[in-house]
Amino acid sequence: MSPIIRFDRVSVAAHEKTILSDISFALFPGEKAVLCGKSGSGKSSVLRTLLGLHFIKSGTVYFQEQALTAASIQAIRSCTAYIGQEPMLGAESVREALLLPFQFKAHREHRPTDRQLIEVLQRLQLPETILSQDSSRISGGEKQRIALARGLLLGKKLYLLDEVTSALDVESKQVVFDVFSDPHLTVLSVAHDPAWLDRCGIVFELEAGRLTQVKRNGNT
Amino acid sequence: METLDIALPRMALLYGLCLLPWLLLWLIGLRLSRDIGISILRMSIQLALVGIYLKTLFDLNHPWLNGLWILVMLLVADLSILRRAGLKARYFALATFTAIASSILFSTAYLVILVIQPTHYYDARYIVPLSGMILGNCLQGNVIALERFYSALRKSENEYATFLMLGATRWEAVRPYFRDAIKAAINPTIAGMATMGLVSLPGMMTGQILGGSEPWLAVKYQIAIMICIFTSTTVAGIINLKLSLNIAFNAFDVLRDEVISKP
Repeated sequence: MSPIIRFDRVSVAAHEKTILSDISFALFPGEKAVLCGKSGSGKSSVLRTLLGLHFIKSGTVYFQEQALTAASIQAIRSCTAYIGQEPMLGAESVREALLLPFQFKAHREHRPTDRQLIEVLQRLQLPETILSQDSSRISGGEKQRIALARGLLLGKKLYLLDEVTSALDVESKQVVFDVFSDPHLTVLSVAHDPAWLDRCGIVFELEAGRLTQVKRNGNT
Repeated sequence: METLDIALPRMALLYGLCLLPWLLLWLIGLRLSRDIGISILRMSIQLALVGIYLKTLFDLNHPWLNGLWILVMLLVADLSILRRAGLKARYFALATFTAIASSILFSTAYLVILVIQPTHYYDARYIVPLSGMILGNCLQGNVIALERFYSALRKSENEYATFLMLGATRWEAVRPYFRDAIKAAINPTIAGMATMGLVSLPGMMTGQILGGSEPWLAVKYQIAIMICIFTSTTVAGIINLKLSLNIAFNAFDVLRDEVISKP
């Protein structure tokens, strides 16, 4: 089996400053990994680099063994869901936010039915009534679950989670854990939460833009 | 009907009117003498220069010279738009020039050749003031369009990135900001048309009436100029933003830092 993500000696610069240096790692389909380290160590930059939001100075990022280039970026983005601490919903109501990606040409043909919407909300333990709520009025944890629901509706396989658990209460955290216990979903996350770190098979430790340690299932 | 001339001594009398606001400002403790003096002096010199070259332009009334004059105005407007919108001319000068030149030439030509139909279509008396007025308003609109669009995009960087992540193409992802920017650019013109004549008499109409025109004629020209301003602002704004999209982003659809002037 080939890795879904592979960083090969990747260095990244933003605003003329090096933010990642010489990073190499691979992640296989179904694996759950977490990046940890002090703030400013470059954790989120790894996620953003994969999405083509940073300038790669040297090295190559591979997605399903295909190099990340201007030509392949759209395909990578369409397979990937990025969920941040305070995700942007980008629409007035929750329903519109969930349906937003289906306005775009790439997904226009796959607009979900109301039943599918409700099913995915149930899976994330969100009430059906949330659909008509104003998306600026819902809590951070609910926003994250809506963003996650949107990823699931799009059938995304790779989830990049940036400090997702910090806004969640114990109950919603469990819901999110359960969703990602699905072996088809691959996760690359940034987190400090010990409960989340325990759940992840691989822990990457970063320090000042360098990968210093990789732990697999508790072993170095 | 000739407009009454203002002779030099009476011009001096006119400047004397400034003494009243100057005195009042001084009394309330605002020491603005320097600023007021400089502003009045600059206004007088700049307008005197305009008077001299407009006189020359009108006397010669040569098609190439008139064309050159419009070209110079377009170039100055081009650089002025980009400076005020906070974008680097090095990257956008050609795009903005293309947008304003095509829309101004189109609407001025439409108005002069098809509607007004003077004996010589290049007549300085028509094309110089008309294209200048259209351009002046078009300039405002383009500053607003570019400034709004790129500042919204920078402010909503995360939202924009979210749209991209959700499968939007660059165009699909920028569309909400694009629409807002164009709306902001043309709103003043639309609002201006709606209240025209109610709040104040428009400048061009006042000028024509003072110049001895029939009010009816002045009204028709005012309508003509407003329609041309509206058309050219919309057309230039859309072309300008559209062309800038090819310049301002890298191949990964990320806004390039280096195209924006540092404040």
